[in-house]
Amino acid sequence: MEIFDNLLLGFSVAFRPDVLIYAFLGCLVGTLVGMLPGIGPLAGISILLPVTFGLDATKAIVMLAGIYYGSQYGGSTTSILMRIPGEAASVMTCIDGYAMARKGRAGAALAIAAVGSFVAGTFGVIMLTLVAPPLANFALRFGPPEYTALLVLGLVFLAYMSTTSLARTLIMACVGLLLGCIGIDVMSGHFRYAFDIKELGDGIGLVPVAVGLFGLGEILSTPSKTVVGKVVPPRFAELMPSRQEWRQSVMPVARGSVLGFVVGIVPGSAHIIASFLSYAVEKRVSKTPEEFGKGAVAGVAGPESANNAASTGAFVPMLALGLPTGPVTAVLMAALLIHGVPPGPQLVTEHPQVFWGFIASMYVGNLMLLALNLPLVGLFVRVLQIPYAYLYPLIIMFCIVGVYLVNNSIVDVWIMLIMGLVGYALRKFHFDPAPLVLGLVIAPTFELSLRQSLVMSSGNWTIFFTRPIAGVLFAICGVLLALSALSWLRQKDWRERLAETETGKK
Amino acid sequence: MNLRRDHVAGGAFVLAGVVVGILSFDLPFGTLASPGAGMLPMLLIGYLTVFGAVLFVRANESPPLASIDWSDFRHALPVVAVAAVAVTAYTRLGFLITIPLMLFFLTFVVERRPLLPAAAFSIGVSAISYTLFGLLLKIPLPRGILGF
Repeated sequence: MEIFDNLLLGFSVAFRPDVLIYAFLGCLVGTLVGMLPGIGPLAGISILLPVTFGLDATKAIVMLAGIYYGSQYGGSTTSILMRIPGEAASVMTCIDGYAMARKGRAGAALAIAAVGSFVAGTFGVIMLTLVAPPLANFALRFGPPEYTALLVLGLVFLAYMSTTSLARTLIMACVGLLLGCIGIDVMSGHFRYAFDIKELGDGIGLVPVAVGLFGLGEILSTPSKTVVGKVVPPRFAELMPSRQEWRQSVMPVARGSVLGFVVGIVPGSAHIIASFLSYAVEKRVSKTPEEFGKGAVAGVAGPESANNAASTGAFVPMLALGLPTGPVTAVLMAALLIHGVPPGPQLVTEHPQVFWGFIASMYVGNLMLLALNLPLVGLFVRVLQIPYAYLYPLIIMFCIVGVYLVNNSIVDVWIMLIMGLVGYALRKFHFDPAPLVLGLVIAPTFELSLRQSLVMSSGNWTIFFTRPIAGVLFAICGVLLALSALSWLRQKDWRERLAETETGKK
Repeated sequence: MNLRRDHVAGGAFVLAGVVVGILSFDLPFGTLASPGAGMLPMLLIGYLTVFGAVLFVRANESPPLASIDWSDFRHALPVVAVAAVAVTAYTRLGFLITIPLMLFFLTFVVERRPLLPAAAFSIGVSAISYTLFGLLLKIPLPRGILGF
């Protein structure tokens, strides 16, 4: 019954008019961010992070999380109407969503995507409500060695699940961790890599790095002439799916919700992987796999549900363990830290209003998104028609203004600009910048727990293997690395097998 | 040797590892029982160099360097140049001069949009942003040497 009392507390926070307004703003901005090409959820959240500085922690996290899960909804609109994925997780929706639109079923495709997202999002929040508190309770047993093991596992998992190779992901994570070493060492007071720039004393901020890599970097690699604003407008008379379409979407939504939530808990680009996996599963179990690519309802319902459930699942390790599973949760974690609320096991007990208020706001946010996405689709179609040549200068303006606002520091803006160029170059050489951001966020905790572990064991490194929880976590790391090595020896890993399933070669 | 994408990428990270390693010589490594400020950076530099070398060694599996499409660089370069000038001017000239000029350059010069719509867009967006951030949200925007 305790859980219901806690949820009541959460709803008493979430239904406060001011919190509702920020939840609505987050959902609205998130929908736009998900729709617009060239600006993903991470860039959107990073750019708007400084705007939340004047808010309390609850409103800030409610609004930023609204942007995150709102963007999963919004991404489906451009995928279905324009065949342009607003963000990476919507790539699979493009295939059958756009095919449905060309058959005159754009309205039905949008409705199935919105309802599927709502069901999956709500399922994800229910699971989050049930799973996060006991997990947080368990994590109270964690000391420095366990945290070190957990963070290493997070990075190895990220590398294993990454869409690029293991070596590429680990290189990015190392660069992120190295960037996190810049500034004053908290244990000895040494200045590291500051080069007499006093602004670097506190280290490199997450916002300039994230905005540069994901906001500016994306703009630099997206020439305006390549963004074609050709929209297939939905027929509003056909907004409601037929009875057969509803029937065809029930099981894909159910499977996508469960699959998405489970994948979401695992570190990595969970919502992207979840939507790809869901598409592959639906194609495999379908009695008419030849329909996929030509407007199959399951090809829209499954991936859309999966990516929404995954984005909710990603909150479980972030809230319960203080472990960001991807760059978006890393930025959200940084937002909580900026507001003096450290995520992790103590969050439930020490800041119950923030924790339960946030969870309750997600129930409300999912309802808001359902209400936003269907009736306002006409308005969103108009937004999609804004030429990209006008849109990206606006985003650059927000990047400069937003990054400067964090510390009133022009050095931060220069860092953002440099990171924009780095992000552009990384894309050219097929590196995913997400692990870099993750490394930057976990660097201080990782270094502190590693050094504390060694100090408390008087330099005996076996402490990481003799303590049961840390030992198990490191054993899982070993298994994942062994699996990666095996894939390398077989010259084919799970990504290639998945790609084969999707393209029907297997 | 046929130069491939990962020859350059792997080589760059090995070089980066060496350079950062040289920069880290003055950081105390400490001992295992009392780790110093240089311990984690040194470990990371080691890993970075090893993974960079792995990438370099396996570079034959990657596409040729010449296959990388740089056609968007012609768009990226002026955008970065305009943004860099704007960042230089931002605290000197202030928000109200720098931002409209940056928006105008990007839309009119880089994107070759018609003069009047580009000017109207630049002035309009700057005015709305100033009203929203500077006046309504009371966020301190840089004023510059002219005082506004």
